[in-house]
Amino acid sequence: MGGSIPGTSCTLSQVEKQGLDKNFNLDSMDGVPTASTEQWSEASDAERLRDNLKAYWAFQILLNEILEEQRSSLTPNDLDFHESIQSVLLQVSALAYQLEELMVMLEHNVPARELEGARDAHGRGLFEKKLRGMKVLQELAQWSVRSVRDLHQLSRPVQTGDIPHASCCLALKK
Amino acid sequence: MMKVFLLGLALLRVDSLMYPAVISPQDPTLLIGSSLTASCSVGADSSLRAEDLYWTLNGRRLPAEAYEVLSATALSVTIPNLNGSQQQSGDNLVCHSKDGGILAGSCLYVGLPPEKPTNISCWSKNLKDLTCKWAPGTEGETYLHTNYTLKYKLRWYGRDNTCQQYHTAGQYSCHIPKDLALFTPYEIWVEASNRLGVAVSEVVMLDIVDVVTTDPHSNVHVSRVGDLEDQLSVRWSAPPALKDFLFQAKYQIQYRVEDSSEWKQVVDNVGNQTSCRLAGLRPGTVYFVQVRCNPFGIYGSKKAGIWSDWSNPTAASTPRNGRAAGVCEPKNGEHNNTLRRELKQFFGWMRKHGSSYGCANLSIKMYDQWRVSLQKSHKTRNQVLSGDKS
Repeated sequence: MGGSIPGTSCTLSQVEKQGLDKNFNLDSMDGVPTASTEQWSEASDAERLRDNLKAYWAFQILLNEILEEQRSSLTPNDLDFHESIQSVLLQVSALAYQLEELMVMLEHNVPARELEGARDAHGRGLFEKKLRGMKVLQELAQWSVRSVRDLHQLSRPVQTGDIPHASCCLALKK
Repeated sequence: MMKVFLLGLALLRVDSLMYPAVISPQDPTLLIGSSLTASCSVGADSSLRAEDLYWTLNGRRLPAEAYEVLSATALSVTIPNLNGSQQQSGDNLVCHSKDGGILAGSCLYVGLPPEKPTNISCWSKNLKDLTCKWAPGTEGETYLHTNYTLKYKLRWYGRDNTCQQYHTAGQYSCHIPKDLALFTPYEIWVEASNRLGVAVSEVVMLDIVDVVTTDPHSNVHVSRVGDLEDQLSVRWSAPPALKDFLFQAKYQIQYRVEDSSEWKQVVDNVGNQTSCRLAGLRPGTVYFVQVRCNPFGIYGSKKAGIWSDWSNPTAASTPRNGRAAGVCEPKNGEHNNTLRRELKQFFGWMRKHGSSYGCANLSIKMYDQWRVSLQKSHKTRNQVLSGDKS
């Protein structure tokens, strides 16, 4: 994760550049993976990795949409902002790749990947696109916190019978 | 099939949850100074009522006096005398429920139509391409995003072409990499467009051979001139990319000492020569030297040509001990300069002492006498200086 939380500084930029208010309640916006879960401690390692992977795959699609919206209609001149979204997108892709590799290494089933966005972006008004961008970046920041906790949980000391293979020596410990 | 239908229903349900109200007009574009009346309508089956709604513009609540209840479920607001948009992504006009929740939003784009782009200037690197830049109209892109399109055509029989590579030499520039004709003038113009209209610049006419520049020199050599402590020799070569073309070249040289950021341009328009001596430099000092070229008269062009960028600085140091003041001269020219300086001193001495010899006695002898007096005064000064040290 490069020591920083992807999406955090981008969220601030997004709020500032688009005249939004960080206190807006965006709970009703759907189609963005939410990090909060009530059964966090009960999840198996495979479930944890699967949820993370699916979330970051979804963020890849969402960030691409946001980038396209910013370029084409919201901030066509703000190349620095586009670049910072691009940089977050790159980190997210890298993380998704690592998670996928990890699942293969641990012999967990890698879930099927959905390549389409959850909803059609074309019908949206511009204000909704702004809010959606903010929601995506906020949730991404939340997910990065959750992922750190998930991966810590995965790399915890192995208890007898917990993980059957030598693969318990996770690369994550590095 | 049933699954798809259910999914569709679910999405419709979500949509109705996500858009509890609708603002009209959605994302309008308006002129600065105009006024806008917008309405916020909630669904008839909603528990929300028009009286309970309020409006914000960029987060600021709009005063209730500007509202009008159109029906039980629709509230309008009128905003007079609109200012230019605060952000490029549009001002946020938002309809809220009593508790502050967002019911709907619309982005307002408030600005002015574009103005004619001006000051179009173009240059061709080694006759291979063409780059043009221009200045936006005065209001430029202050409020609304403005697109610029550079178009060009051969003057008499060409069809319109559109430049594709923008921002190559700054924000307002475009680069045409190939397929350019020589000896036929091009007509070049820029079209500016935004949400409120289009403005077209004046047409500029030019022939590629009249606007040629070249790459900065990559092979500038700076070296010492024997033991001469106040001089450095600079050598460069004519631009290789233009070797197949008939042209003349002017060169300029500039130098600076290592610990200064101020360049001294010592030579203007050195014609066609490819070497030069810098004289009157500080002894034992590191100098940085740069050269640039103006290739003009390409195939007989009468235009002034365009200076290349400066070469990367080349460093060299002078030997220790030396004289003063910097000039650049063609080879062997430093003797002329020293002579001129000495003659000036001589004439000064003449004004002071010459009258006692009478005009008839003006001869080389007088010059010799002056040299002797000069040497004496140097000797005395050196003795004084060495006396001071001891």
